Amino acid sequence: MRNRLTYSILGLLLAIAFAPLMFGQTPEQPDAAKARTSTAEPDLSGVWNARPPANAKLPDLIAYFSSFGKGEPAMTAWAEAAYKAAKPSFGPNSVTMEDTNDPVYKCFPPGVPRVYLHPFPLQIVQLPGQVVMLFEYDHMVRHIYTDGREHPKDLDPTWMGHSIGRWEGDILVADTIGFNDKTWLDRVGHPHSDQLHVVERIRRTAQDTLQVDLNIEDPKAYTKPVTSTMFFQLKPKWDIMEQVCMDNVNFLNFEKNEDVPAK
Amino acid sequence: MKTRTLTIAALAVVFLTNSLPLLAHHGTASYDTSKTVTVKGTVTDFQFMNPHVLLFLDGKDDNGNVQKWQGELTSPNHLERAGWTRTSLKPGDQITISGFPAKSGANSMWISKVLQADGTPLNPGLGN
Repeated sequence: MRNRLTYSILGLLLAIAFAPLMFGQTPEQPDAAKARTSTAEPDLSGVWNARPPANAKLPDLIAYFSSFGKGEPAMTAWAEAAYKAAKPSFGPNSVTMEDTNDPVYKCFPPGVPRVYLHPFPLQIVQLPGQVVMLFEYDHMVRHIYTDGREHPKDLDPTWMGHSIGRWEGDILVADTIGFNDKTWLDRVGHPHSDQLHVVERIRRTAQDTLQVDLNIEDPKAYTKPVTSTMFFQLKPKWDIMEQVCMDNVNFLNFEKNEDVPAK
Repeated sequence: MKTRTLTIAALAVVFLTNSLPLLAHHGTASYDTSKTVTVKGTVTDFQFMNPHVLLFLDGKDDNGNVQKWQGELTSPNHLERAGWTRTSLKPGDQITISGFPAKSGANSMWISKVLQADGTPLNPGLGN
């Protein structure tokens, strides 16, 4: 009757008013939170290990793990001078461990994207608002912030840079700046300045394959961008192990042949 | 001596031998990569640590005198993934090692092959 009808109408009106909640939609949220939760992110997570091209000849294999791009990068005069002064352990200008001045052999961080060249796996962990890369090599960590933030205006220069990322379809586009100039671009002695700007396009092209397209710009060092692509294979059975850069204090003595000198 | 069986990935050893420097922490500038030296002897120390596993042994020269030798392998992380453990080799083990000799003439090598006493190889290990 009338009371029942009133209640029915009220009930219906309430249902309509609260329908958005009933169907799982939430009230307006700040933009940052929306960026985190609005759609499911592609899943890049797992332990990944660099996978060189299948049919590559030995020189290309060596290049795959020691430098970026094809051939020499287009260096400025500043970069040429720095490259001349470098004494790397790999590449055409390589020297012995006793003579090298490559900062990684003093266990400084390798920088980005050089860290990808060190042949140890990495683990990608996705959290709300950031993608974390855990590198086995000397336990390096990168945080790629996907919560919509910009790079800070006055960045403290760091060894591994400051990374922000956004999704373009199934590709994580990571943008990194804020580097100091204490690392080398690669393992063969090419330099970079604090103007280094690295863009990575990271995408899972198959269940067990990650593709990373690198675009490296540094106007102080290179007159053209350096581009490169690396592939990584999923390793479902691998855990990231500990790797301490100078775990063995005897290592340098070994390299100097101190216990087994020439006859 | 009991033969240890290791789970070794069925990888082409020849290919791995040629590309060993790829998975190394440093290059081979100290070594003559055009030559191979082989030493048979007794393990005196096996340092299963990063950055490179180090092996020390007492070999014998042609006169039967003890010659101290050392060799380096890759990171223990790669070796473990190829089936090695920190006790894969122990002081007292009789082994034969081959590799690139040091340019300096010192008794030092970049190991590319390790044979146990029974002749079975231990994969110098690049992971799989």
